Order: sequence, then structure tokens, then C-alpha cells
Amino acid sequence: MTDINFPIISLLIFLPIVGGISIYFVNKILGTRGVKLYALLIGLIELALSLYAYYIILNGNSGAEYNFIEGPYPWINSIQGIDYYLGMDGLSAPLVLISSILSVLVILGSWDLIKERNVLYYSLLLIFVGAIMGVFTSLNMILFYVFWDVVLIPMFLFIGIWGGPRKKYAAMKFLLFTFAGSVLMLLAFIMIYFAATPHTFNIPELMGQIPYDLQVLACFMFFIGFGVKLAIVPFHTWLPDAHVEAPAPISVFLAGLLLKMGGYGFIRFNLGLLPEASAAYAWFFISVGIITMFYGAIVALRQTDLKRMIAFTSINHMGFVLLGAFTGTVFGISGAVFQMFTHAGAIGIMFMLSGYVHEFTGTRDINVIKGLKFSSPRLATLLVFGSMAAMAIPIFSTFLSEFMVIVGAIQVNPQYAVIAVIPVITVSYFLWMIKRTVTSTPVKSVVKHDLNNLSTVALCLYLLPLLLTLIAPWLILEMVDPLSHLYVELLNGSS
Amino acid sequence: MDIALTLIGLLGGTALLIYAVDVVLGSRIQTINFARTITNISLFTALIIAVLSLLNVISSENSVPNLIRNDGLGFFFSIVVLLISLFVSISSFDYIRKERNELVYYSLLLFTTLGMVGLSFAVDLLVIFIAWELMSLPTFILVGFRKNYKNASQYNDAILSNEGAVKYFILGALSSAILLYGISIIFGLTGSTNLDYAMNSMINIDSNNVPLAILGTVFLIAGFGLKLSIVPFHMWIPDAYEGAPITIGALLSSATKKVGFVAAIRSLIIIFPIVEINLSMILAIIALFTMTLGNIAALTQKTITRMLAYSSIAQAGYLLIGLVVLPTSSLGLVGLLYHSFNHAVMQASAFLAAAAVSYKLSKTSLNSYEGLAKIMPITSFCLAISLLALAGFPPLSGFWSKVILFASAVDGGYMWLALAGLVNTVVSVGYYGLIVKRMYMDDPSEKKPIAEPKSIISVLIFATIIIIVTGLVPNILLDHITIISNDFLSNYPALP
Repeated sequence: MTDINFPIISLLIFLPIVGGISIYFVNKILGTRGVKLYALLIGLIELALSLYAYYIILNGNSGAEYNFIEGPYPWINSIQGIDYYLGMDGLSAPLVLISSILSVLVILGSWDLIKERNVLYYSLLLIFVGAIMGVFTSLNMILFYVFWDVVLIPMFLFIGIWGGPRKKYAAMKFLLFTFAGSVLMLLAFIMIYFAATPHTFNIPELMGQIPYDLQVLACFMFFIGFGVKLAIVPFHTWLPDAHVEAPAPISVFLAGLLLKMGGYGFIRFNLGLLPEASAAYAWFFISVGIITMFYGAIVALRQTDLKRMIAFTSINHMGFVLLGAFTGTVFGISGAVFQMFTHAGAIGIMFMLSGYVHEFTGTRDINVIKGLKFSSPRLATLLVFGSMAAMAIPIFSTFLSEFMVIVGAIQVNPQYAVIAVIPVITVSYFLWMIKRTVTSTPVKSVVKHDLNNLSTVALCLYLLPLLLTLIAPWLILEMVDPLSHLYVELLNGSS
Repeated sequence: MDIALTLIGLLGGTALLIYAVDVVLGSRIQTINFARTITNISLFTALIIAVLSLLNVISSENSVPNLIRNDGLGFFFSIVVLLISLFVSISSFDYIRKERNELVYYSLLLFTTLGMVGLSFAVDLLVIFIAWELMSLPTFILVGFRKNYKNASQYNDAILSNEGAVKYFILGALSSAILLYGISIIFGLTGSTNLDYAMNSMINIDSNNVPLAILGTVFLIAGFGLKLSIVPFHMWIPDAYEGAPITIGALLSSATKKVGFVAAIRSLIIIFPIVEINLSMILAIIALFTMTLGNIAALTQKTITRMLAYSSIAQAGYLLIGLVVLPTSSLGLVGLLYHSFNHAVMQASAFLAAAAVSYKLSKTSLNSYEGLAKIMPITSFCLAISLLALAGFPPLSGFWSKVILFASAVDGGYMWLALAGLVNTVVSVGYYGLIVKRMYMDDPSEKKPIAEPKSIISVLIFATIIIIVTGLVPNILLDHITIISNDFLSNYPALP
């Protein structure tokens, strides 16, 4: 437990939200360029704050407990248990950190790619960042639900206003799917509330209070609620549309952060609150995870649209998170959290690159793009590196996280070793894509069109955390492991 | 000072005064300005009086013994009614400007408000019936307010207005008759029209009389159901809302319907003690059909007024949940009251935004909302906020009241009703979200921003502030609502 008097989590949440609303006044005074710098400044402050918080927790080795607790302050007086209650543990901290890293990178990436309605864009972007911080740090289920739904509206508008040709369809589909998932989750929250004595929505007080029958019911309601967000089969159909139609920087948010909300929910609620039901029905979740992995990988193999292919890669990788979480081993749970962290970086650079490829060549069709290594050497190099990160080549920590999940699965049941095939499929479609787009011979005369210096640096920054955590995996694992041990005890103690 | 009678005197006096001015001085610019001003002043004064008394109310006391009671429930609903009437009357500055019989419009608005305020305080079935009629009769006329047409372009509006008014009037008259029949049966069973006496007699009802009580219950539900816009008494709603001036649509769906609920709470609560009639289950089934039909029908509408009409039917289904669990969960009445207030403000805001669009662009079709954010930015923003609140997105006010209603359903043992409500909420996002999509994502036919009507905009901004602030700080209202609800329920310790 760290003792600190300054409300760091509230600042993480409300600085961007207030900044996002006040951006209209910044625009009046400083103009569009001022708006971008203002957003970047807020993003950097967020990054500094979350790095500081991360460092404190890591240094105190207190990943298993809640740090920087604020509250519980009653939000509604007349109904007990609806509180303003925030805290950060070993599960929240890596996700908060990657959220602030990605928000800085997305602001940099939007610099050139977003050309219209800048003020609204950056305003929504900052509100989105604030809300996502709230999702990862709320310790009250109603507060969690509020942030969870606040995330939807900016994302709905991002896809619908700045998206591609089928943006309106994708935006509505996204909104309906995710909202349908979240109302089921809300019903489960309400049922849990009435099962507890005294009635409460506070997660720490609810631990170990829920009767088994309700656990089973809630477990499957959460499965739909979080499963839609994590985009596991069969709730994944919104994902390819949303990812493909969203502008590249927003796809980074979608794949990098929005999907993680589902993974976070599974670990925090299914494992933490409903350990008995989760242990009893782990086979079900593991099977769904394996199906999701194979489905995502095989479907990605057949895609000709670069961005769509990357979107299906996300489905494939999220299967690892679900599988890892429900193995109920330290390797599996830590690996799942690690996978969420590394996937955000790997998929982020791939989506940004697909945006640039589209900008430079006018198409995203893998069969049409030829000879990128001649026309855009920097882009081609980064595409190869990004693919290596996404297909878990051991120069990036994506390798470690997938490896940990596979080890965790084999610990449970050696037959799960079948998932070791997945990286093979992943490698094959990435290599095939690189063969067709990067190393092929150009058809026409080569027109030089490459990334500028700023974009190159910004893109390299996506890979930096992956490289760093390969060299020093303890940066993540010492954070997550205490929590994983706690959850493993919860799961085993009950079954 | 007796608050209920003061309010009735204030509103009734002003309404008569405006009418007298019309008869004596005729309709001129000066008299119209006078009517507008005095309507707003009297509504505003009444609102202030009601709010102040709500803040000071400690326990209920009889005003006119056994007929009208100054209790928290009455104050709460009269605040809702007066707030919405004030919204409507201010918006009418622009919307009804220079139409025939403008003075009569304001006079009728005050009369119907008077009826609604009376209804909020009534505790005797006969007073309820009289207030019910006083509330209904002016609205029949107001719905048919645009019965005349000057040129071909207004012909269609006039047809719709007449159709809506006639349909509403016939069904309204029928429902009054049914309601009166129900009241007479209750009187025959209990020997009193006073609801407290009736309650006491109902607890000890002779089992031979139960079939008669069932008949009375059915008639009461049918009679109230017309105003509550519950299925199967909802047929007139879309036609009337479409034909009426849109400001009157706002009044009907936001205010009239809400006081229908206060009458239903006060009257139907006497049925709950009769265990042979499972009133909760009857109402739960009605609620299920109401919300499902409303939401599914709203998905297919082509004009905003019809869509909001069906959305209003669906929301009545959510409100009924509060009535269903009234005897079993203390959260039920809290949720009902809170959602009444929130829904009144959200629905009024959405209707008045539609009124602003119709006033400026003369269109109500949903297609005309494409790209509205570039033409009328403030109206679009307020409409978007009210629609998102209606859909129940946090942290807007509609979210909290829906959560409380669904939580009360779970608490009261109606899990399936909560599930149905939540599934319906998802369906409702389909049409609410579609309008937001049209306003913000589609391309407008004309790019130039136009001047937005000032009086409606001021109301919209005020309503939007209410929606956001009560969403962020629900305590402002919920603290009072909990006191009101506990105070009201403490009068009925005999509820099972």
C-alpha cells in the first residue's frame, strides 16, 4: 500500500475529460494548431502521471492490492453502495500505462491523417482517453458501467464521422453490438448487488459474497457483455467492420484499448468476483478462446484487404487473452495481461501503417500493392518490423506473452498444446502479405512517397515498449504476478 | 397558506383572465403580448411556489379534507407539470406566433395545466375524475388547433390535425366513461370515493365481491390507460402527436402522461391488498407489451413526431415497472418518480427541438434531419443529448432512473421484466442512435447555418443543463424523491 495524498487517478480521468470539453475555448484563442498541441500536452501529462503511478506500484511491489485508493464517497445518498471509488492494482496499472502511451501516439498519428472537424475530433479523443482510464480504475460496478458506456459515444462518432465508405453502417453496428453486451452486464451487476449483504456495488466488498448459482448466471452474462468487447467468436462480427471503416488512428484505439476493456472485465469480474463459477466452467471459456484463435487466424489468411487482415489478427490475439485468463495458472493470467499490453503496441503500429499505405498507394488491397520496398523504404521496413511484432518473433515481447499463455494452457491440459499451431498460421499470413506487398517487383515506374521524419519516429515509438519488455519482462511481470497468484488462489481454493 | 388551492386559484384565474381579455378586447398585438407574459409569469410563480413547498414539506396534510391533500407526491408532480408547461409556453412564443386564436391557445394551456395540478393533489375518486376531465378537454381542442388551412401547403397539416383531434376526442370520451364506470364500481364495493376509506374496505373485502373488484380494476386500468399510453390503449397517440402542434405533443407526452401516473398510483394502490387479483402480474404483462410494441414500432417510423410518440409509449412501459413492484420494493416508487421527471424533461426537450426544426425548415420527416448539425448546431446538440438520455446512456439523467427502475424489478422479483426492459433499451438505441447518426454523420442538403428560434433554443439549453446536471449529481432530486416516496408509502402499511 502506498501512501499518497494527491488524487492521481481522478486526475488521470478528469484531466482529459475537462481538457476535451474546454478545447472549444482553446480553438477560439489558438486555432487548430493550438488544439493539436493542447491535446498532445494533455496526453504527455497523462503519460507522466501513469508512468509515475506505475513506478510507485512496481517499486512498492504492491500489485496484488489496490493503490492510490480514492473513496468510497457516496455518489447517491439514498441508495447505498453506489460510490465514487477508484484504485489501481497490478491489473489496472499496465493497462493504464498502455492507454496513456497509445493516446500520445494516436494524437501524433492523427496530426496529418485527420483533416476535417479537428476540434470535435480532439475533444472526443480526450474524452475517450479519460473514460478509458475510468474503466480500468473503477472499483464500483456502477461507476465502471458509467465509464464503460461513456467510451461508446466518442467511438460511435469517430467511426461514423471520420470513417471510410461504409462508416455509417459500421458505426451503428458497433453501437448496437456493444450496447447490447453492456446492458446484460448491467443486469448481472444489479443481480449481484441484491445478493450481497449489505447491498453494495463495490468490488472489494463483494469478493467471496456471491452464492454459486448466481455466480454461474452472472458468469455467462458477463461472458456476453465482455465477449462482445473482446470480440470473441461468435460476438466478433462488429469488429472487422468497425476496424476497417474507422480512420487509422482510431483503429489503434479500437484494437489497442477498446478490446482490452473486455479482457480487463473477464479478469477483474469473472476471475475476481466469480471464482467458483469461473473454475467450474473454465473448460467452456477455454474452448471458446481456442475457437476464437483458430477462427481469427484462418480467416485472416484469406483476407485481401490489409486492414481487414489486421483486424482478424486482433480476434486471433484476443483469443489468447481469454484462454490465458481461464487457465487459472499464474503463467496464463500473467500472460493474458502481458498479451493485452504487447498486443496494443503491435497492433497499433500495424493499423497506423495500413493507414499510411492507404494514403500513399490509394488502396489497401494486398494483391494490388506492389514493391513497397522501392517506393517507400521506411514504410516497408516498419511494416516488416510491425509484422514481426504481431507474429510474435522473439525480438519483441509479443513472443513472451504468447509463450506464457501457451505454457499456462499446457500446464492445465497437455492437449491444449494444439494452440502452438496458431503462431504458425499467423507467421504464414504475415509473411505472405510481406511477400506480396513489400518484396514484390513494382509494376509501374516507381514513385517515391515515404513517411516523413515525425511519423517515422512516432511509429518507432510503438515498438519501443515491446523491445523494452522483451529485455526486461520483469517490468510487467513483477507488477502482474502478485495479482495472478492471488487469483490462482481464489480459483483453486474454491474448486 | 394552502398551497394546492393557491396554485389552482392562480392558474385558473389567469386562464379566465386571458379568456376575458380575448372576449372583451379581441386579439391584437398588445393583448397577445399580455397573454404570453402573464401566462409565463403565472406558470413561473406557480412553479416557484411548488418547489419551495416541496423543500419545506415535512408530512402530508389535508387541504380540503378527504378531497385534496398537500403531500410530497402532489408537489412533485405539480413541479413536473408546471416545468413542462412553462417550457411549452415559452417555446410557443416562436412556434405559435401569428396563428389564429393565439390568446385561446394560452388560455387553454393554462386550463389543462390547472387540471393536471389538481389531479396531482386529488385523493378522492370524484375529484380525480373532475380534474381528469379538466385536463383532457382543453387538450382535445389544442390537438386540433391547426384545423384550418390557408393554402395548399397547410392542407396536409390540417387534415392530420383534424384526424388526430377527432380520434383523440372519441377515445378520450370513451375512456372517461369507462373510468367513471370503474369509479362507480369501486364506490359500490367500498361505500366511499375517498381513497383512504376505500383502501380500508378493500383490505377486508368479501370474497363474493372479488369478481366485481376485478371488473372495477379492469375499468380503472382501461380508463387511466388511455392517458398513460399503455398497450392496448395507445392507438390515438401517434396520430394525435403527429397532428397536434409539436409543442402540444411535448405537453401531452411529458406532462399529461405523468399526472396520469399519479392518478394511477393513488387509485390502483387500493387494489393491491386484494390477493385474488394479482395486479402486479397484470401490470407487468401490460408493461412488457407496452415497451416492446413501442420500441419495435418506433423503429419503422418516417417522421420524428411519430417516432417520439412510439418512444413515449415505450417509456410508459418502463414507468409501469415502478407500479408493478410498488408493494414489493421500496425502489419502485423512487424509480417511477425519478423517471417521470427525467422522461418529462428529456421528451419535452426532444419534442421542442423537433418543433424548432419544423418551425424553421417546415419539415418533420426523419430524412430532413440529415446533416442538421451543420445547419442548426445548438438544436442538434440538445436533441442529441436528449435522445442519448432517453436511450439511457450514462452519465445523463435517464440512465439513473432506468437503472433504479430495473433494479427495483430485480428487487421485487421480476427478473424477466428487468431483462425485457434492458433488451428493449438496446432496441431503442436503434432509432435514437439513427437520428444522432443522421444529424452528425450524413451530409446536409444545404450547408448554410440558419438562425435558430431564440425562445425554443433557450428552453432547450435549460433542459439540456437539467439533463446533464441531474445525471452527474443525481442527489439533487433523489434525496427529495426518497423522502416523498417513504412518506407516501408510510400511509399504506397494509401493503402486502
